[in-house]
Amino acid sequence: MKITDIKKSFDRFSLHIENLETTTGKIHGIIGPNGCGKTTIMKIMAGLIKPDSGDVDYENLSSREFTMVFRKPYLLHDTVIHNLIYPLKIRRINPDNELVEHYLEIAGLQDYRNQYALGLSGGEQQKLSLIRALIFLPKLIFMDEGFSNMDIEGVAFFEDYILNMQKTKPMTWVIISHQLSNIKRLCDYVYFMHDGKIEAHGEPAEILQDPENVNLKRYLHYM
Amino acid sequence: MFEMLDTEILGIIALTLRMTLLSSAISSVIGIPLGLWLDSAKFPGKKLVVTISRTLMASPPVVVGLVVYLLLMRNGPLGFMRLLFTFEAMVIAQVLLLIPIICGIVYTASQRNSERIQTFAITMGANKRQTQILLIKELGNEIFFAVITGFGRAMSEVGAIMIVGGNIRHHTRAMTTTITLLRNRGEINQAIFLGIILMIIAFGVQIIADFLRKRERRTDENY
Repeated sequence: MKITDIKKSFDRFSLHIENLETTTGKIHGIIGPNGCGKTTIMKIMAGLIKPDSGDVDYENLSSREFTMVFRKPYLLHDTVIHNLIYPLKIRRINPDNELVEHYLEIAGLQDYRNQYALGLSGGEQQKLSLIRALIFLPKLIFMDEGFSNMDIEGVAFFEDYILNMQKTKPMTWVIISHQLSNIKRLCDYVYFMHDGKIEAHGEPAEILQDPENVNLKRYLHYM
Repeated sequence: MFEMLDTEILGIIALTLRMTLLSSAISSVIGIPLGLWLDSAKFPGKKLVVTISRTLMASPPVVVGLVVYLLLMRNGPLGFMRLLFTFEAMVIAQVLLLIPIICGIVYTASQRNSERIQTFAITMGANKRQTQILLIKELGNEIFFAVITGFGRAMSEVGAIMIVGGNIRHHTRAMTTTITLLRNRGEINQAIFLGIILMIIAFGVQIIADFLRKRERRTDENY
């Protein structure tokens, strides 16, 4: 997908993104300090916020083919299993037992399948929301600090899982993270945002090593 | 004590239950969608409508009773229906009392949660109908609370049904109006007895409703 000349103003903040493009099957990172507009641009890309002006081109991608994982996941007032199969249910896809078991297993939730999802710990809830996003194999995934509540082991496991999955069933990802390690490990391309604008972009090795941009330099210094 | 449970008292209990259940059901059917609509609709003067609705939540039953009385009295605009001092008149008065309560609770709950639920539904690829169904399902606890609150209000109501029902023996005499009558007559023991039965019914309904709710949620609380 591609966004061009997007403008969005709020009371104390305005966003202007001239150009942001995703490449099919690649993982894109958006980094930047708090309040720079990362989540806003992601929500605009995901169709959750309407921009004041500009163009969002999904290039034949329907709204049913992408999803978003939030920092604070929304879980249904239902069991783990019902949460997991919700995207399949609304697509009238009969959940394949093996598939369900596979995803429960990677999140370590096999024993909790019939438990109330809101009773899970923060990290488990995050894992559940991530496997729920993956289960219907979307073409595009937006992830806003989707690893934030997970322990180091869980993060490493999911990083490996995503990287392996990219080899067999590549999806397009747009990730927001404050963990440079996530970005370095996962991303093929990185956008750095500051004060509502993209100030630098490129491959991680290219822009994160010795950045020219002063704001990016300062941001990386404190990470 | 149970010798007081004569045919007349049983008739009064049956009439009270019939009236309360019917008025709660009608008010729920109208009040729940109204509350959801009020949250999602955008129209000029919405704030005023919400303020009026909140004011009506606290409207004194005797005033509602008086309004219904004036509407249904022989020379009133609806006098031709000959409903004054009937069971139907009592139900109408209660429905007018309960709709703002149920609508107000549902509106507040929806206002607090609908954005997150709708955002989640959109990111999962749900269509409009599926989003609406999910919203109602996810607000289940709050909707349940609204209905139970309405039921409790209907059960304990005296003023309105006294005015429009007339507390006519074997005809429009409900438990609360009977308690008032017995107290006026100085038959305190019977009044207390009826009061205890009223409390037991309210408690029983609460227990049954809680049981049904828990079963529906299929909860199995984790840590």
